Amino acid sequence: MRTDKLWARVFLAAAAVLLLLFFSNDFGLIDIRETAIVVALGIDEAEEGEGYDVTAQIAVPANAGPGSAANVTAKGVRTVSEGIAELNQETGWYPTLVHCRLILLGEALTERNVFDVLGYFLRNEAVEDSCQVAVCAGTARETFGAGSPVNDISASAIIKVLSSEAQKTGLVSVTILKDFAVGYYSVSESGALPYITVKEEAESQGGSAAQAAALPSLVRNKRWRPVREPLPLAAPASAEGGESQGGKSGESKGGGAVFQASETMLFYRGKKAAILTPEETLAYNLAATDTDFAYGNVTAAQDGKEAVCSLQMKIGKKRRSLSFENGMPVFTFTIRAKARVADTDKAAPILNIAKTQIAEESVLRAAEQKFKEELASAAEKAARSGCDLFGIKQRLYRFRHKDYEAFRENILSAAELRYDIRFSGLK
Amino acid sequence: MEKLKVRQICFYFMAMMPVAKLLVYPAALAFRAKNCLLFSSLLNSLLEGAVVALVMLLAKKTGKPLFVLLEQRAGKLWAKIAYGAFALYFFASALLPLLEQKNFVLQVLYENASTLLSFAPFFLLSFYACTKGASSMGRIADVALPVFALSFPVLILLALPHADFAALLPLSAVPAREIAKGSLFSANWYTDGAFLLFWLGHFEYEKGAAGKVLGAYAAGTFAVLLFLAVFYAVFADIALRQQNAVAQIAKYTTSFTSLGRVDYLFLFALALVMIFRMCIPVQMCVHCLRRTVGCKPLLPSAAVNLLLLALTVFFNYSFLEVQTLFTQKLWSVFALFAYLLPAAAALLALRRRRSP
Amino acid sequence: MNALDRSCKENERRIKDILTSEDILVFRFQTADGKACAAIYADGITDKALLGEQVARPLSSQEAPATAEEAATALRAPECKQVTDPQKAAEEILAGNTAVLIDGIPAALIAGLKKMSTRAIMEPPGSVAVKGPREGFIEDVKTNMSLVRNRLRTPKLQFKMLTAGRQSRTAVAVGYLEGIADEKTVKSILGRIAAIDIDGIPDSSYVAKFLSRRPASLFRSAGTTEKPDVLAARMLEGRVAVLVDGSPIALTLPYLLVEDLQGAQDYFASPLRATLSRVLRFCGVLLSVLLPAFYVAAQLFKLQILPLSFLLTISGNVQGIPLSPGLELFFLLLVLEILVEASVRMPKYVALALSVIGALILGDTAVKAGLVSSSAIIIMAISGIAAYTVPDLVGTTSVLRIVFVVAAGSIGTFGVTLLIALLLYYLTAAGDYGVPLLAPFAPLVGRDLKDSLFKAPLGDLGKRPAVFHTKNETRLGKREK
Repeated sequence: MRTDKLWARVFLAAAAVLLLLFFSNDFGLIDIRETAIVVALGIDEAEEGEGYDVTAQIAVPANAGPGSAANVTAKGVRTVSEGIAELNQETGWYPTLVHCRLILLGEALTERNVFDVLGYFLRNEAVEDSCQVAVCAGTARETFGAGSPVNDISASAIIKVLSSEAQKTGLVSVTILKDFAVGYYSVSESGALPYITVKEEAESQGGSAAQAAALPSLVRNKRWRPVREPLPLAAPASAEGGESQGGKSGESKGGGAVFQASETMLFYRGKKAAILTPEETLAYNLAATDTDFAYGNVTAAQDGKEAVCSLQMKIGKKRRSLSFENGMPVFTFTIRAKARVADTDKAAPILNIAKTQIAEESVLRAAEQKFKEELASAAEKAARSGCDLFGIKQRLYRFRHKDYEAFRENILSAAELRYDIRFSGLK
Repeated sequence: MEKLKVRQICFYFMAMMPVAKLLVYPAALAFRAKNCLLFSSLLNSLLEGAVVALVMLLAKKTGKPLFVLLEQRAGKLWAKIAYGAFALYFFASALLPLLEQKNFVLQVLYENASTLLSFAPFFLLSFYACTKGASSMGRIADVALPVFALSFPVLILLALPHADFAALLPLSAVPAREIAKGSLFSANWYTDGAFLLFWLGHFEYEKGAAGKVLGAYAAGTFAVLLFLAVFYAVFADIALRQQNAVAQIAKYTTSFTSLGRVDYLFLFALALVMIFRMCIPVQMCVHCLRRTVGCKPLLPSAAVNLLLLALTVFFNYSFLEVQTLFTQKLWSVFALFAYLLPAAAALLALRRRRSP
Repeated sequence: MNALDRSCKENERRIKDILTSEDILVFRFQTADGKACAAIYADGITDKALLGEQVARPLSSQEAPATAEEAATALRAPECKQVTDPQKAAEEILAGNTAVLIDGIPAALIAGLKKMSTRAIMEPPGSVAVKGPREGFIEDVKTNMSLVRNRLRTPKLQFKMLTAGRQSRTAVAVGYLEGIADEKTVKSILGRIAAIDIDGIPDSSYVAKFLSRRPASLFRSAGTTEKPDVLAARMLEGRVAVLVDGSPIALTLPYLLVEDLQGAQDYFASPLRATLSRVLRFCGVLLSVLLPAFYVAAQLFKLQILPLSFLLTISGNVQGIPLSPGLELFFLLLVLEILVEASVRMPKYVALALSVIGALILGDTAVKAGLVSSSAIIIMAISGIAAYTVPDLVGTTSVLRIVFVVAAGSIGTFGVTLLIALLLYYLTAAGDYGVPLLAPFAPLVGRDLKDSLFKAPLGDLGKRPAVFHTKNETRLGKREK
């Protein structure tokens, strides 16, 4: 009984402390109403002087219905951390990066080691390294300022372009921060990031540039350049178009731009090494990433005439292997795919259209040849720049460790590349 | 200490033993043994498995508690001294996991500038747990198993799409010396064999109990090895920076889904099992202290938990220093108490029984 | 006081000295040979017609019996016994029986002429069955015992009658199946009831408190039912029943937490459906207790738990709300409790209007006025509704969810996790009569899992639950294949 009374007292005391904490509500917690939800972060070389410009795209929900987003730029900060802290100081909002899904690096930043800035995200537990990383042409600030024709905020539009579905069809080569860091810290010291370009398009129907222009500015001081944009959950009728106040003249307004990420930037030791064209990106994806279904054009003779065929390709098997022949490394791509014709640029008799999906031998061989050429081109670019795009060095280290020391410096150039690519048609 | 069931001991080894090794241990192992971390872990598990086997053999031969065995062999005073020494060992072995758990809680379960105040209520729970007997410990193991069996596989399954098991190669890249070091320097995560020694006499040996317990230990070890393999397969060369391993491995699959971080649901469930596991060394410390001093559990429970709270506050910002001290300087002490003393005690007791 | 005398008048005086109340009446008459007789009874609870029929008429039509035994034979009452202690006689009168005094016999004959106005046996509103028996207990213990005996027509069904309450002298019946219920448990229950020292027992819940090792616990320690079929089923599993006069709620002991998740109709549905129902009830309880807590903790400490689109919706909703998320939900839960309390106590015709005012107008206006957010109202509503998936646990869940909200608002998700751990430590150690509250989960009793959250087909439930330490384990005989 005495013990029961003691426990009752202990629990009463604990409950009192708990209630005190609960009702005082003053022990360092920061609630949702004072939190700025950063959905994307852009980092550029500082426009003026040393350091970086850090642009945060913040979701600002409205009281009811759709909200908007604001781009806020901290200029000339020495570290990303300083930029984030400044965001807090200057706006009064506590920025949370847990929902940051995109880190966009300005192109100029890639001339130096990008891990100078990406290190912050690896150090900080509050930032998820599951977010996507991409490089953009020009500056991240301008890219965030571009509006999507479907009334998305730019970060959401970019994330859609970099979706796993896009990766599966080989259109882009998507990378999350963790994978990029793993590549950088591995023996390869290499990685690849999608390269985003903004293409001007006609204004979308119902695009609301005028509305956007009429929105109040969120500028709090000279260094901050907030821009309101609609949230992804915004209904089209009430959503606002994006507007960049900090961008250079002539940039897109009112949802007139589309984002393309079909090019891929290669990195070696954290610096830009080369850029793969869309065709090379597709070949790389088909050979080395999760892509198993893709579209591509080939020019081939059909019924004695040259025709452009759009092929639908389904990868059945892909394998990369490193072997040694006569003491020299041989790297083999083995790819088996099925292809069928989705379209051609020539009119054809109805019988041919009826069986058009069955690719002719000539088309299949042309596809193999095209694929091989693009793959070779990508591999050559990678080898020239030192980027271990296909994991040759990695394989040497993991599977032929005894030969690693001998070839660690020159494996990319020394390895003979072989292509065992077979396309077959649907029967 | 009241009675435990053999089943509950099995459940402990299957569900509660692995969770202690899911936070800092994988990263610590990756720091030393790199991609060969499985070997380091396996080495420890084999040593501890041998201790478990010996203790179960002892349990088969004699159903007496360790205190009685020591009393018969060396007298009450020495029995008390041994219990006192093990009380200290259990206290020390509780400290690093506590700091580990504290960091996990503050870093993973909070987003803002959390304070130690958020973790401090744990000691109230631990105090309450310490005043309960072994039967409560056993029943908690009964609860822990289904929670673990549900959440652990889900986290592993969520991690698998991002795992590249080739990262565990080459097997020859890490010198054997480093693997051994990795093993020895992680002795403080292997205290479960010593727990079993003190449960001796508090469970009734039933037919095939040794096999069951060893099987359960093997299952727990497999869970740890599987986790380590998946962990390194996901993170490869950046594994050593993943301090809260279990919170990291599954997020890559769930981050971009419309449901968001559903892995947290299972993480909270595992955190519950971790809390139960965290209380065990403290409970064992109190048990040893009670036998040494000969008092009711209330006072030693309060003293031990207050002291642990004080040390947690004191070492709030010194986790790395404590980790270095415990793993690199005091590893021999931990190895002594985790492997050598239990094995020696079991062997001595067995020899005495054989000799007329 | 002295034993009864040979004088009818003296005996009447002695009894009337004890029972001074004006509703204790005396019916005086004479035997055929002119000896004085008196029937003392309590007005209102004695059947006067029977008194005339079974007592007065036979005695007045014959000569006076010489002994108490002869008198008992002369009376036509089926229930008849003799007492010599005027105190005992007074107690019987208060219980509704009639004390018959005959000049020359030094004893009172107690005729069972009790007539209580009881309500009809009907379906209890608290446990409505879609399928299955619909009769429920009433306030009369004898009727309730008969309802049980009607379902268990075995000589092994035993009822031990006790009285409890210094002033109320309430009849308490302890029922069990001999050879199936654990003897130690029966003995312990009888001992605890006998030891009850309280002035009155208005309801079985009073007895339940005395039968518990931890009467102040948030979790009850006795099962309850209002249905004889459920009680019979539980007794067949090895539990002991306690029926209290004046209460339609029977107690069953020992109690397992899991039995609250089991509904009577589970046994009439397919095992799969029953299992699904039980899992849903369990999830309902979890949802009711934990959803408000996680909602608060997520907003205050861990935004990452919420998917981005949902987070933005909530964020939009809570802008401009004067209360912090924790306080907001805390007060909303309090309002919910007030609404529930009020709706239970107010007349039915007002309750409907109040629920419209409370649920629709109050909630909607509060959201529009910016006092609370719509998402908090939804969370409260889900939690409130989910709690009623297990009506027997509503009291516990409503307290727990407030405690959890306070923990979540102060310490966040870790606070919630710690509280769950504390609760589990408490529950694993709880239990009475040697039966752990969390059985068959902790400790794990493999055999009993067949009828826990999971419901095995009836054919697989061949053994009684092991947790009740029953001697006769076999429930199901061998079946022909």
